[in-house]
Amino acid sequence: MTFQEYTPDQEDALQEVVNIAMGQAGAALAQVLDVYVALSVPRVRIVSADGVADAVQAMIASAQDGDPGDVTAVRQGFFNSLRGESIALFGTEGCNSLADLMGHEQALEKDEIDRELLLEVSNILSGAVLNGVAEQLDTDFAFSAPTLMAMRQPVNRLLDAQALGWDYALLVEVNFRLEAPGFSCHLVLLMPEESIEFMRRGLDAMLEGL
Amino acid sequence: MNHPDGDSRDLLESIVDRVNVGVLVVDAHYTVVRWNRFMAMHSGLAADDVLGRDLFTVFPDLPRRWLTQKLRGVFLLKNYAFTSWEQRPYLFRFPHNRPATTAVVDCMRQDCTFIPIKDGDNHVTHVCITIMDATDTCIYQIQLREAMDSLEKSSARDPLTGIFNRGHIESRLRDEFARSHRHDSDLSVILFDIDHFKRVNDLHGHMAGDEVLCEVANRVAGALRKEDVFGRYGGEEFTVVLPDSDLAAARVVAERLRHCIAARPIVTSAGAVDVTVTLGVCRRHPDIATHETLLNRADQALYRGKAGGRNGVFLYEDEA
Repeated sequence: MTFQEYTPDQEDALQEVVNIAMGQAGAALAQVLDVYVALSVPRVRIVSADGVADAVQAMIASAQDGDPGDVTAVRQGFFNSLRGESIALFGTEGCNSLADLMGHEQALEKDEIDRELLLEVSNILSGAVLNGVAEQLDTDFAFSAPTLMAMRQPVNRLLDAQALGWDYALLVEVNFRLEAPGFSCHLVLLMPEESIEFMRRGLDAMLEGL
Repeated sequence: MNHPDGDSRDLLESIVDRVNVGVLVVDAHYTVVRWNRFMAMHSGLAADDVLGRDLFTVFPDLPRRWLTQKLRGVFLLKNYAFTSWEQRPYLFRFPHNRPATTAVVDCMRQDCTFIPIKDGDNHVTHVCITIMDATDTCIYQIQLREAMDSLEKSSARDPLTGIFNRGHIESRLRDEFARSHRHDSDLSVILFDIDHFKRVNDLHGHMAGDEVLCEVANRVAGALRKEDVFGRYGGEEFTVVLPDSDLAAARVVAERLRHCIAARPIVTSAGAVDVTVTLGVCRRHPDIATHETLLNRADQALYRGKAGGRNGVFLYEDEA
């Protein structure tokens, strides 16, 4: 399938929507964890299935000043008006430093705690971002439970173009970093095909309302 | 929004009460305001025992610190939250539904969803927790894992390189040895390993090490006849069984294998790596009683080669 590029006005509006939503997500995480959360300027663009792995890898590499190495990934579906999946990518160190912030007791195995934390943090971030987007577009989302997608794998094995089942998707990505040492999370939202058009209509409605 | 009339409100009440999913609702003070039949049946506490009471007082075994934080997050962020049995086996310790047939799990595995309930001003006033019984999924997963493990053990292939594994090589060697003994035909064995393989791992990482193992397997497999049996014996050690080959023929094959590895570097994701192999060769001899001895002698030849310069072909001593 082919797609029509967003107009410059639509692009600006989308960037703004995403900036606000990401800001809210950062604030939400900071509020829950009671730590300072820094985030990069979100990037928004339409990518082809072939290009998505490289695009994501490049963004992580630029955020980390070098080779992203292996990642652990958590995916979560969202649906209703926009349909897609959020993927949170974590460095291999995981997020040990979060255990205490999230109120974990030592009842679970350490690996299980790490995994539960990754799921939890992913859920908070993608929920906050998407609720922020939904609010601005005057819609709302339902979410599936987050699941572990990969443990310590290279990024390109995660997003294998052959297995994706779509040609083009709207890609939104941002990097979150905590003051806590060794933790950073790269959040990717992928919304294939029809969501590109739904977003366009939503943005047009917003622009008309200005 | 349409307000359900009296009848459909009763209908909804009845569905929520009887659905085969745990439903409980707490307010901002963690006071229980709804407790459906699933919860009552599995906990043994009826709605009247629980409603209006503090959740943590009724269930002192709940992971209080963690659950409070989770609920606080839902109130604060107005966002769904989830837990999976895979990380946290259960929230409420309930008996499972297979009391007669299963001892694999000790209690009900649970997937939980925390749903923010908002008032008209978009404030979260309550959190609804739903509890799905995931015991069956959990048991299927355990069974699947057991099946995969036993499949892997019984499979003839080495999972990394795709060539035969040690178990298969040994059983084929046993068969070929018996056949050769019966027909008094030739049989030779090559045992080889990668020189300084530890250094490859140390210098280029384990992933590059794996890539080297795969490429060595690949090149050697391409240089053999189809009746030859080739497998990974373990670590960086490989075995080739050569039916109907005398020592001279086996030596030629070994030399060919040595050359196909040393001729050009192996390209890995960590760069090109120069790799050589040392090969020990032994043929079946009437005084060799078992296939183990045959393999053992090839190993002795290999061991001698390791001491004597590597990147070479070494025959078992008596034959050299």
